[in-house]
Amino acid sequence: MFGYLRPVREELKVREYELYKSVYCGLCRRLGRDYGIITRFTLSYDCTVLAMLAASLREENSCVKRGRCRFNPMKKCMFCATDGEAMHLAGGVSVIMAYYKLSDTITDSGFFKRLAARLLRVFLSGGFRRARKAYPDIEAAAGKMIESQQLAERKGSGIDESADPTAKMLSFLCERLSDDEMTRRVLSRFGYCLGRWIYLIDAADDLEKDIKHRCFNPFISVTEADSAETAVFCNETLNMTASQLIMAYELLQPVSYREILDNIVYHGLSFQQKHCIFEKKRKKGRKMKDRKKKDYYTFLSRGDEDI
Amino acid sequence: MKDPYQVLGVSRSATDEEIKKAYRELAKKYHPDKYADNPLADVASEKMKEINEAYRMVTEERKRGGASRSSSYGSYNDSYSSGYSSASSGSASYGGRSRYEEIRVMINSGNFGAAETALTSIPSDERNAEWYYLMGVVYYQKGFLSDAYNYFQTACRMDPDNAEYQSMYRRIQQQRTGNQGGYNSQGSAPACDCCDICTCLLCTDCLCNSCR
Repeated sequence: MFGYLRPVREELKVREYELYKSVYCGLCRRLGRDYGIITRFTLSYDCTVLAMLAASLREENSCVKRGRCRFNPMKKCMFCATDGEAMHLAGGVSVIMAYYKLSDTITDSGFFKRLAARLLRVFLSGGFRRARKAYPDIEAAAGKMIESQQLAERKGSGIDESADPTAKMLSFLCERLSDDEMTRRVLSRFGYCLGRWIYLIDAADDLEKDIKHRCFNPFISVTEADSAETAVFCNETLNMTASQLIMAYELLQPVSYREILDNIVYHGLSFQQKHCIFEKKRKKGRKMKDRKKKDYYTFLSRGDEDI
Repeated sequence: MKDPYQVLGVSRSATDEEIKKAYRELAKKYHPDKYADNPLADVASEKMKEINEAYRMVTEERKRGGASRSSSYGSYNDSYSSGYSSASSGSASYGGRSRYEEIRVMINSGNFGAAETALTSIPSDERNAEWYYLMGVVYYQKGFLSDAYNYFQTACRMDPDNAEYQSMYRRIQQQRTGNQGGYNSQGSAPACDCCDICTCLLCTDCLCNSCR
Protein backbone atom coordinates (compact mmCIF):
# COMPACT_ATOMS: atom_id res chain seq x y z
CA MET A 1 0.00 0.00 0.00
CA PHE A 2 3.05 2.21 -0.01
CA GLY A 3 4.72 4.39 -2.56
CA TYR A 4 1.85 5.66 -4.63
CA LEU A 5 2.08 9.27 -3.53
CA ARG A 6 4.91 10.67 -5.56
CA PRO A 7 5.57 13.81 -7.49
CA VAL A 8 6.14 13.59 -11.20
CA ARG A 9 9.80 14.44 -11.28
CA GLU A 10 9.82 15.83 -14.79
CA GLU A 11 7.29 18.46 -13.82
CA LEU A 12 9.29 19.77 -10.87
CA LYS A 13 11.84 22.52 -10.99
CA VAL A 14 15.35 21.40 -10.11
CA ARG A 15 15.34 23.24 -6.82
CA GLU A 16 11.96 21.75 -5.92
CA TYR A 17 13.22 18.31 -6.73
CA GLU A 18 16.31 18.88 -4.60
CA LEU A 19 14.10 20.05 -1.76
CA TYR A 20 11.90 16.99 -2.11
CA LYS A 21 14.93 14.73 -2.00
CA SER A 22 16.26 16.57 1.03
CA VAL A 23 13.00 15.97 2.89
CA TYR A 24 13.24 12.31 1.98
CA CYS A 25 16.79 12.06 3.24
CA GLY A 26 16.02 14.21 6.27
CA LEU A 27 13.17 11.94 7.23
CA CYS A 28 15.45 8.93 6.91
CA ARG A 29 17.95 10.53 9.29
CA ARG A 30 15.26 11.55 11.71
CA LEU A 31 13.96 7.99 11.75
CA GLY A 32 17.42 6.77 12.64
CA ARG A 33 17.85 9.34 15.35
CA ASP A 34 14.41 9.17 16.96
CA TYR A 35 13.37 5.57 16.53
CA GLY A 36 16.54 3.53 16.00
CA ILE A 37 18.63 2.72 12.99
CA ILE A 38 16.61 -0.27 11.85
CA THR A 39 13.49 1.85 11.41
CA ARG A 40 15.23 3.70 8.61
CA PHE A 41 14.15 0.85 6.36
CA THR A 42 10.51 1.80 6.86
CA LEU A 43 11.04 5.03 4.97
CA SER A 44 8.47 5.56 2.26
CA TYR A 45 7.36 8.20 -0.21
CA ASP A 46 3.99 8.50 1.47
CA CYS A 47 5.48 9.45 4.80
CA THR A 48 7.64 12.00 3.03
CA VAL A 49 4.46 13.56 1.75
CA LEU A 50 3.01 13.50 5.24
CA ALA A 51 6.13 15.20 6.57
CA MET A 52 5.83 17.92 3.96
CA LEU A 53 2.15 18.42 4.60
CA ALA A 54 2.69 18.63 8.34
CA ALA A 55 5.61 21.03 7.98
CA SER A 56 3.63 23.10 5.55
CA LEU A 57 0.64 23.48 7.85
CA ARG A 58 2.78 24.22 10.86
CA GLU A 59 4.84 26.64 8.83
CA GLU A 60 8.01 24.95 9.89
CA ASN A 61 11.04 26.06 7.99
CA SER A 62 13.54 23.64 6.66
CA CYS A 63 17.26 24.04 6.91
CA VAL A 64 19.07 22.07 4.27
CA LYS A 65 22.52 20.69 5.04
CA ARG A 66 24.94 18.51 3.15
CA GLY A 67 26.12 15.18 4.43
CA ARG A 68 26.98 11.65 3.52
CA CYS A 69 24.37 8.98 3.24
CA ARG A 70 24.89 6.26 5.83
CA PHE A 71 23.81 3.53 3.44
CA ASN A 72 25.69 4.78 0.45
CA PRO A 73 28.78 6.56 1.80
CA MET A 74 30.01 7.42 -1.66
CA LYS A 75 27.01 9.65 -2.17
CA LYS A 76 26.81 13.08 -0.71
CA CYS A 77 23.29 14.20 -0.24
CA MET A 78 21.33 17.19 0.88
CA PHE A 79 19.13 16.61 3.81
CA CYS A 80 16.60 18.57 5.72
CA ALA A 81 17.85 19.10 9.24
CA THR A 82 15.08 20.27 11.50
CA ASP A 83 14.08 19.48 15.01
CA GLY A 84 10.53 20.15 14.03
CA GLU A 85 7.56 18.14 15.12
CA ALA A 86 6.57 17.37 11.51
CA MET A 87 9.44 14.97 10.83
CA HIS A 88 9.07 13.30 14.20
CA LEU A 89 5.41 12.69 13.50
CA ALA A 90 5.99 11.40 9.98
CA GLY A 91 8.67 9.06 11.28
CA GLY A 92 6.41 7.75 14.00
CA VAL A 93 3.64 7.12 11.50
CA SER A 94 6.06 5.36 9.22
CA VAL A 95 7.19 2.98 11.98
CA ILE A 96 3.68 2.30 13.24
CA MET A 97 2.32 1.59 9.77
CA ALA A 98 5.23 -0.67 8.89
CA TYR A 99 4.76 -2.61 12.11
CA TYR A 100 1.07 -3.13 11.49
CA LYS A 101 1.70 -4.06 7.90
CA LEU A 102 4.01 -6.82 9.13
CA SER A 103 1.41 -7.96 11.64
CA ASP A 104 -1.08 -8.10 8.81
CA THR A 105 1.29 -10.24 6.76
CA ILE A 106 1.69 -12.57 9.74
CA THR A 107 -2.04 -13.19 9.96
CA ASP A 108 -2.73 -13.87 6.32
CA SER A 109 0.27 -15.22 4.44
CA GLY A 110 2.05 -18.48 3.75
CA PHE A 111 4.55 -20.10 6.08
CA PHE A 112 7.80 -18.60 4.80
CA LYS A 113 6.45 -15.10 4.40
CA ARG A 114 5.06 -15.35 7.88
CA LEU A 115 8.38 -16.39 9.31
CA ALA A 116 10.18 -13.51 7.60
CA ALA A 117 7.58 -11.04 8.78
CA ARG A 118 7.88 -12.27 12.36
CA LEU A 119 11.63 -11.84 12.24
CA LEU A 120 11.39 -8.34 10.84
CA ARG A 121 8.78 -7.41 13.37
CA VAL A 122 11.08 -8.37 16.20
CA PHE A 123 13.70 -6.00 14.82
CA LEU A 124 11.15 -3.24 14.52
CA SER A 125 9.61 -3.67 17.95
CA GLY A 126 12.01 -1.27 19.72
CA GLY A 127 11.21 1.56 17.34
CA PHE A 128 7.55 0.69 17.51
CA ARG A 129 7.53 1.02 21.28
CA ARG A 130 9.08 4.45 21.03
CA ALA A 131 6.58 5.54 18.39
CA ARG A 132 3.71 4.18 20.44
CA LYS A 133 4.86 6.13 23.44
CA ALA A 134 5.08 9.33 21.44
CA TYR A 135 1.79 8.91 19.57
CA PRO A 136 -0.54 6.58 21.46
CA ASP A 137 -3.57 7.93 19.59
CA ILE A 138 -2.12 7.14 16.17
CA GLU A 139 -1.16 3.67 17.31
CA ALA A 140 -4.70 3.06 18.54
CA ALA A 141 -6.17 4.33 15.28
CA ALA A 142 -3.87 2.12 13.23
CA GLY A 143 -4.83 -0.90 15.31
CA LYS A 144 -8.48 -0.16 14.79
CA MET A 145 -7.93 0.29 11.08
CA ILE A 146 -6.29 -3.10 10.65
CA GLU A 147 -9.07 -4.73 12.62
CA SER A 148 -11.90 -3.22 10.60
CA GLN A 149 -9.98 -3.87 7.41
CA GLN A 150 -9.80 -7.56 8.18
CA LEU A 151 -13.47 -7.58 9.06
CA ALA A 152 -14.40 -5.85 5.80
CA GLU A 153 -12.33 -8.31 3.80
CA ARG A 154 -13.84 -11.30 5.51
CA LYS A 155 -17.31 -9.98 4.84
CA GLY A 156 -16.38 -9.41 1.21
CA SER A 157 -17.57 -5.81 1.24
CA GLY A 158 -17.96 -3.51 -1.69
CA ILE A 159 -15.64 -0.76 -2.83
CA ASP A 160 -16.70 1.94 -0.39
CA GLU A 161 -16.78 -0.17 2.71
CA SER A 162 -13.45 -1.84 2.14
CA ALA A 163 -11.76 1.50 1.44
CA ASP A 164 -13.31 3.04 4.54
CA PRO A 165 -10.80 1.88 7.20
CA THR A 166 -7.74 3.20 5.36
CA ALA A 167 -9.60 6.39 4.50
CA LYS A 168 -10.63 6.93 8.11
CA MET A 169 -7.09 6.35 9.29
CA LEU A 170 -5.64 8.93 6.91
CA SER A 171 -8.45 11.28 7.79
CA PHE A 172 -7.52 11.00 11.44
CA LEU A 173 -3.85 11.49 10.68
CA CYS A 174 -4.40 14.60 8.61
CA GLU A 175 -6.95 16.07 10.95
CA ARG A 176 -4.57 16.12 13.86
CA LEU A 177 -2.08 18.25 11.90
CA SER A 178 -3.97 21.43 12.65
CA ASP A 179 -5.67 23.10 15.58
CA ASP A 180 -7.91 25.40 13.64
CA GLU A 181 -11.47 24.09 13.48
CA MET A 182 -12.09 24.98 9.84
CA THR A 183 -8.74 23.64 8.65
CA ARG A 184 -9.36 20.45 10.58
CA ARG A 185 -12.57 19.85 8.71
CA VAL A 186 -10.89 20.41 5.37
CA LEU A 187 -8.00 18.17 6.38
CA SER A 188 -10.36 15.49 7.53
CA ARG A 189 -12.05 15.36 4.13
CA PHE A 190 -8.73 15.62 2.35
CA GLY A 191 -7.32 12.74 4.37
CA TYR A 192 -10.40 10.64 3.81
CA CYS A 193 -10.18 11.00 0.06
CA LEU A 194 -6.44 10.51 0.11
CA GLY A 195 -6.73 7.27 2.07
CA ARG A 196 -9.49 6.10 -0.18
CA TRP A 197 -7.43 6.88 -3.24
CA ILE A 198 -4.40 5.05 -1.88
CA TYR A 199 -6.43 2.00 -0.96
CA LEU A 200 -8.19 1.88 -4.29
CA ILE A 201 -5.12 2.36 -6.43
CA ASP A 202 -3.43 -0.39 -4.49
CA ALA A 203 -6.44 -2.61 -5.14
CA ALA A 204 -6.50 -1.74 -8.84
CA ASP A 205 -2.80 -2.39 -9.07
CA ASP A 206 -3.08 -5.81 -7.43
CA LEU A 207 -6.24 -6.83 -9.24
CA GLU A 208 -4.67 -9.32 -11.64
CA LYS A 209 -2.58 -10.90 -8.92
CA ASP A 210 -5.56 -11.17 -6.57
CA ILE A 211 -7.70 -12.81 -9.22
CA LYS A 212 -4.98 -15.35 -9.84
CA HIS A 213 -4.44 -16.15 -6.16
CA ARG A 214 -8.12 -15.80 -5.27
CA CYS A 215 -7.44 -13.11 -2.69
CA PHE A 216 -9.82 -10.41 -1.62
CA ASN A 217 -10.07 -7.38 -3.86
CA PRO A 218 -12.93 -4.87 -3.90
CA PHE A 219 -12.81 -4.62 -7.68
CA ILE A 220 -13.28 -8.35 -8.24
CA SER A 221 -17.06 -8.05 -8.07
CA VAL A 222 -17.07 -5.83 -11.14
CA THR A 223 -14.54 -7.74 -13.13
CA GLU A 224 -16.76 -10.20 -14.99
CA ALA A 225 -16.48 -7.85 -17.91
CA ASP A 226 -13.29 -7.89 -19.95
CA SER A 227 -10.19 -6.34 -18.51
CA ALA A 228 -10.25 -3.17 -20.62
CA GLU A 229 -13.65 -2.33 -19.25
CA THR A 230 -12.55 -3.10 -15.72
CA ALA A 231 -9.57 -0.80 -16.15
CA VAL A 232 -11.84 2.02 -17.24
CA PHE A 233 -14.14 1.37 -14.30
CA CYS A 234 -11.28 1.40 -11.79
CA ASN A 235 -9.97 4.55 -13.35
CA GLU A 236 -13.35 6.25 -13.13
CA THR A 237 -13.71 5.33 -9.48
CA LEU A 238 -10.27 6.73 -8.79
CA ASN A 239 -10.99 9.87 -10.80
CA MET A 240 -14.00 10.60 -8.69
CA THR A 241 -11.97 10.21 -5.52
CA ALA A 242 -9.17 12.33 -6.93
CA SER A 243 -11.48 15.17 -7.86
CA GLN A 244 -12.97 15.18 -4.37
CA LEU A 245 -9.46 15.18 -2.99
CA ILE A 246 -8.48 18.15 -5.15
CA MET A 247 -11.55 20.07 -4.07
CA ALA A 248 -10.53 19.66 -0.45
CA TYR A 249 -6.90 20.39 -1.23
CA GLU A 250 -7.76 23.69 -2.88
CA LEU A 251 -9.27 24.88 0.37
CA LEU A 252 -6.04 24.24 2.22
CA GLN A 253 -3.38 26.85 2.14
CA PRO A 254 -0.08 25.03 2.27
CA VAL A 255 2.69 27.50 2.92
CA SER A 256 5.99 25.78 2.40
CA TYR A 257 6.47 22.93 -0.06
CA ARG A 258 3.49 24.22 -1.96
CA GLU A 259 4.87 23.49 -5.44
CA ILE A 260 5.77 19.92 -4.54
CA LEU A 261 2.40 19.21 -2.95
CA ASP A 262 0.65 20.77 -5.94
CA ASN A 263 2.68 18.57 -8.22
CA ILE A 264 1.72 15.44 -6.31
CA VAL A 265 -1.96 16.28 -6.25
CA TYR A 266 -2.35 17.58 -9.79
CA HIS A 267 0.15 15.45 -11.68
CA GLY A 268 1.31 12.63 -9.41
CA LEU A 269 -2.09 11.09 -8.84
CA SER A 270 -3.05 10.98 -12.49
CA PHE A 271 0.35 9.70 -13.50
CA GLN A 272 0.13 6.86 -10.99
CA GLN A 273 -3.36 6.03 -12.19
CA LYS A 274 -2.23 5.80 -15.76
CA HIS A 275 0.88 3.87 -14.82
CA CYS A 276 -0.80 1.33 -12.55
CA ILE A 277 -4.03 0.76 -14.42
CA PHE A 278 -3.21 1.10 -18.08
CA GLU A 279 0.51 0.65 -18.61
CA LYS A 280 1.98 -1.80 -16.17
CA LYS A 281 0.24 -4.95 -17.32
CA ARG A 282 1.25 -4.77 -20.92
CA LYS A 283 4.86 -3.96 -20.31
CA LYS A 284 6.04 -6.51 -17.84
CA GLY A 285 9.08 -7.50 -19.88
CA ARG A 286 10.71 -4.15 -20.02
CA LYS A 287 13.17 -2.87 -17.50
CA MET A 288 11.82 -0.76 -14.70
CA LYS A 289 13.86 2.31 -15.49
CA ASP A 290 13.07 2.51 -19.18
CA ARG A 291 9.48 1.83 -18.44
CA LYS A 292 9.11 4.74 -16.07
CA LYS A 293 10.64 7.15 -18.53
CA LYS A 294 8.64 5.93 -21.46
CA ASP A 295 5.49 6.02 -19.39
CA TYR A 296 6.07 9.60 -18.58
CA TYR A 297 6.43 10.64 -22.18
CA THR A 298 3.36 8.77 -23.24
CA PHE A 299 1.67 10.39 -20.27
CA LEU A 300 2.64 13.80 -21.59
CA SER A 301 1.15 13.07 -24.96
CA ARG A 302 -1.96 11.79 -23.15
CA GLY A 303 -1.28 8.40 -24.65
CA ASP A 304 -2.60 9.04 -28.12
CA GLU A 305 -0.29 6.54 -29.63
CA ASP A 306 -0.99 3.51 -27.52
CA ILE A 307 -4.36 3.37 -25.87
CA MET B 1 -7.76 41.77 7.36
CA LYS B 2 -5.62 40.17 4.71
CA ASP B 3 -3.98 42.09 1.93
CA PRO B 4 -6.43 41.88 -1.01
CA TYR B 5 -3.59 41.51 -3.50
CA GLN B 6 -2.33 38.54 -1.58
CA VAL B 7 -5.77 36.98 -1.55
CA LEU B 8 -5.94 37.26 -5.33
CA GLY B 9 -2.37 36.03 -5.64
CA VAL B 10 -1.13 38.96 -7.73
CA SER B 11 1.51 41.59 -7.17
CA ARG B 12 0.67 45.25 -6.59
CA SER B 13 2.08 46.18 -9.95
CA ALA B 14 -0.23 43.80 -11.82
CA THR B 15 -2.33 45.28 -14.60
CA ASP B 16 -6.10 45.33 -14.46
CA GLU B 17 -6.24 42.53 -16.97
CA GLU B 18 -4.03 40.32 -14.85
CA ILE B 19 -6.10 40.98 -11.80
CA LYS B 20 -9.28 40.20 -13.64
CA LYS B 21 -7.80 37.01 -14.92
CA ALA B 22 -6.58 35.94 -11.49
CA TYR B 23 -9.98 36.72 -10.03
CA ARG B 24 -11.79 34.74 -12.68
CA GLU B 25 -9.55 31.77 -12.15
CA LEU B 26 -10.05 31.81 -8.40
CA ALA B 27 -13.78 32.26 -8.78
CA LYS B 28 -13.89 29.23 -11.01
CA LYS B 29 -11.85 27.26 -8.53
CA TYR B 30 -14.09 27.99 -5.56
CA HIS B 31 -17.37 28.31 -7.36
CA PRO B 32 -20.29 27.21 -5.18
CA ASP B 33 -21.68 25.01 -7.94
CA LYS B 34 -18.58 22.90 -7.86
CA TYR B 35 -18.87 22.39 -4.11
CA ALA B 36 -22.59 21.73 -4.04
CA ASP B 37 -23.40 18.88 -1.64
CA ASN B 38 -19.77 18.71 -0.59
CA PRO B 39 -19.29 18.75 3.19
CA LEU B 40 -16.87 21.62 2.68
CA ALA B 41 -19.38 23.80 0.82
CA ASP B 42 -19.43 26.38 3.60
CA VAL B 43 -15.64 26.65 3.68
CA ALA B 44 -15.62 27.17 -0.06
CA SER B 45 -18.28 29.87 0.13
CA GLU B 46 -16.29 31.66 2.84
CA LYS B 47 -13.34 31.58 0.52
CA MET B 48 -15.46 32.89 -2.31
CA LYS B 49 -16.64 35.78 -0.17
CA GLU B 50 -13.06 36.62 0.69
CA ILE B 51 -12.10 36.65 -2.97
CA ASN B 52 -15.08 38.78 -3.97
CA GLU B 53 -14.26 41.22 -1.21
CA ALA B 54 -10.61 41.40 -2.22
CA TYR B 55 -11.52 41.97 -5.85
CA ARG B 56 -13.97 44.70 -4.93
CA MET B 57 -11.37 46.42 -2.77
CA VAL B 58 -8.70 46.26 -5.44
CA THR B 59 -10.92 47.62 -8.18
CA GLU B 60 -12.25 50.39 -5.99
CA GLU B 61 -8.79 51.35 -4.90
CA ARG B 62 -7.64 51.52 -8.48
CA LYS B 63 -10.65 53.58 -9.52
CA ARG B 64 -9.92 56.08 -6.82
CA GLY B 65 -6.33 56.10 -8.01
CA GLY B 66 -7.57 58.08 -11.02
CA ALA B 67 -6.33 55.94 -13.85
CA SER B 68 -8.91 55.11 -16.45
CA ARG B 69 -10.73 51.94 -15.62
CA SER B 70 -13.43 50.54 -17.73
CA SER B 71 -13.54 47.25 -15.95
CA SER B 72 -16.83 46.88 -14.23
CA TYR B 73 -16.68 43.17 -14.22
CA GLY B 74 -19.53 42.11 -12.03
CA SER B 75 -18.43 39.89 -9.23
CA TYR B 76 -20.10 36.59 -8.72
CA ASN B 77 -22.67 37.28 -6.11
CA ASP B 78 -23.47 34.99 -3.31
CA SER B 79 -26.98 34.20 -4.29
CA TYR B 80 -26.07 30.63 -3.67
CA SER B 81 -27.89 29.11 -0.78
CA SER B 82 -26.82 25.76 0.43
CA GLY B 83 -30.35 24.79 1.30
CA TYR B 84 -32.26 22.27 -0.68
CA SER B 85 -35.33 23.69 -2.28
CA SER B 86 -37.97 21.11 -2.03
CA ALA B 87 -39.62 22.32 -5.19
CA SER B 88 -39.40 18.96 -6.83
CA SER B 89 -42.42 17.47 -8.49
CA GLY B 90 -45.09 16.12 -6.22
CA SER B 91 -44.65 12.58 -7.30
CA ALA B 92 -44.35 11.22 -3.80
CA SER B 93 -47.30 10.15 -1.73
CA TYR B 94 -48.56 12.58 0.89
CA GLY B 95 -47.22 10.64 3.81
CA GLY B 96 -43.85 10.14 2.19
CA ARG B 97 -43.62 13.75 1.14
CA SER B 98 -43.30 15.24 4.59
CA ARG B 99 -40.97 12.43 5.60
CA TYR B 100 -38.50 13.35 2.87
CA GLU B 101 -38.79 17.00 3.77
CA GLU B 102 -37.79 16.15 7.31
CA ILE B 103 -34.81 14.26 5.99
CA ARG B 104 -33.81 17.22 3.84
CA VAL B 105 -33.89 19.39 6.94
CA MET B 106 -31.60 16.90 8.68
CA ILE B 107 -29.17 16.96 5.76
CA ASN B 108 -29.19 20.75 5.63
CA SER B 109 -28.31 20.99 9.28
CA GLY B 110 -25.46 18.53 8.79
CA ASN B 111 -27.02 15.70 10.71
CA PHE B 112 -26.11 12.93 8.27
CA GLY B 113 -26.18 10.06 10.70
CA ALA B 114 -29.80 10.74 11.59
CA ALA B 115 -30.69 11.23 7.94
CA GLU B 116 -29.18 7.88 7.07
CA THR B 117 -31.06 6.03 9.80
CA ALA B 118 -34.28 7.75 8.80
CA LEU B 119 -33.73 6.76 5.18
CA THR B 120 -32.89 3.15 5.91
CA SER B 121 -35.99 2.84 8.07
CA ILE B 122 -38.18 3.47 5.03
CA PRO B 123 -39.29 0.07 3.70
CA SER B 124 -37.90 -0.84 0.31
CA ASP B 125 -41.24 -0.91 -1.51
CA GLU B 126 -41.86 2.74 -0.61
CA ARG B 127 -38.57 3.98 -1.91
CA ASN B 128 -38.88 6.38 -4.82
CA ALA B 129 -36.45 8.47 -6.84
CA GLU B 130 -36.17 11.04 -4.08
CA TRP B 131 -35.17 8.34 -1.62
CA TYR B 132 -32.33 7.27 -3.90
CA TYR B 133 -31.28 10.85 -4.43
CA LEU B 134 -31.17 11.68 -0.72
CA MET B 135 -29.38 8.46 0.05
CA GLY B 136 -26.86 9.44 -2.60
CA VAL B 137 -26.37 12.82 -0.96
CA VAL B 138 -25.78 11.23 2.43
CA TYR B 139 -23.25 8.78 1.00
CA TYR B 140 -21.56 11.49 -1.00
CA GLN B 141 -21.00 13.49 2.16
CA LYS B 142 -19.74 10.45 3.96
CA GLY B 143 -17.18 9.82 1.25
CA PHE B 144 -18.77 6.57 0.02
CA LEU B 145 -18.46 7.83 -3.52
CA SER B 146 -19.14 4.68 -5.49
CA ASP B 147 -22.37 3.91 -3.66
CA ALA B 148 -23.39 7.56 -4.00
CA TYR B 149 -22.85 7.31 -7.74
CA ASN B 150 -25.06 4.25 -7.95
CA TYR B 151 -27.82 5.91 -5.94
CA PHE B 152 -27.78 9.01 -8.13
CA GLN B 153 -27.88 6.83 -11.19
CA THR B 154 -30.94 5.00 -9.91
CA ALA B 155 -32.63 8.27 -8.96
CA CYS B 156 -32.11 9.59 -12.47
CA ARG B 157 -33.41 6.43 -14.05
CA MET B 158 -36.56 6.48 -11.94
CA ASP B 159 -37.28 10.15 -12.51
CA PRO B 160 -35.45 11.28 -15.65
CA ASP B 161 -37.14 14.69 -15.79
CA ASN B 162 -35.99 15.96 -12.42
CA ALA B 163 -33.45 18.74 -12.89
CA GLU B 164 -32.00 18.41 -9.38
CA TYR B 165 -31.09 14.75 -9.79
CA GLN B 166 -29.84 15.28 -13.30
CA SER B 167 -27.46 18.09 -12.40
CA MET B 168 -25.98 16.09 -9.55
CA TYR B 169 -25.57 13.06 -11.76
CA ARG B 170 -23.92 15.09 -14.50
CA ARG B 171 -21.53 16.63 -12.01
CA ILE B 172 -20.43 13.24 -10.78
CA GLN B 173 -19.97 11.97 -14.29
CA GLN B 174 -17.74 14.92 -14.97
CA GLN B 175 -15.64 13.89 -12.02
CA ARG B 176 -15.46 10.32 -13.19
CA THR B 177 -14.14 11.22 -16.60
CA GLY B 178 -11.11 12.75 -14.93
CA ASN B 179 -11.59 16.32 -16.11
CA GLN B 180 -11.30 17.63 -12.58
CA GLY B 181 -8.45 15.48 -11.39
CA GLY B 182 -7.23 12.00 -11.95
CA TYR B 183 -6.47 10.57 -15.34
CA ASN B 184 -8.66 10.96 -18.38
CA SER B 185 -8.24 7.78 -20.36
CA GLN B 186 -10.68 8.76 -23.06
CA GLY B 187 -9.12 12.07 -23.88
CA SER B 188 -6.96 10.67 -26.62
CA ALA B 189 -7.35 10.72 -30.36
CA PRO B 190 -8.42 7.46 -32.04
CA ALA B 191 -5.50 5.12 -32.43
CA CYS B 192 -3.83 4.68 -35.78
CA ASP B 193 -1.36 1.84 -35.70
CA CYS B 194 0.28 -0.35 -38.32
CA CYS B 195 -2.80 -2.52 -38.68
CA ASP B 196 -5.00 0.46 -39.45
CA ILE B 197 -2.61 1.71 -42.09
CA CYS B 198 -2.40 -1.75 -43.61
CA THR B 199 -6.17 -2.11 -43.69
CA CYS B 200 -6.51 1.31 -45.26
CA LEU B 201 -4.02 0.45 -47.97
CA LEU B 202 -5.73 -2.86 -48.66
CA CYS B 203 -9.11 -1.21 -48.96
CA THR B 204 -7.75 1.46 -51.25
CA ASP B 205 -6.17 -1.20 -53.34
CA CYS B 206 -9.46 -3.02 -53.65
CA LEU B 207 -11.14 0.19 -54.76
CA CYS B 208 -8.40 0.75 -57.32
CA ASN B 209 -9.04 -2.68 -58.73
CA SER B 210 -12.73 -1.99 -59.06
CA CYS B 211 -12.07 1.27 -60.87
CA ARG B 212 -9.96 -0.26 -63.52
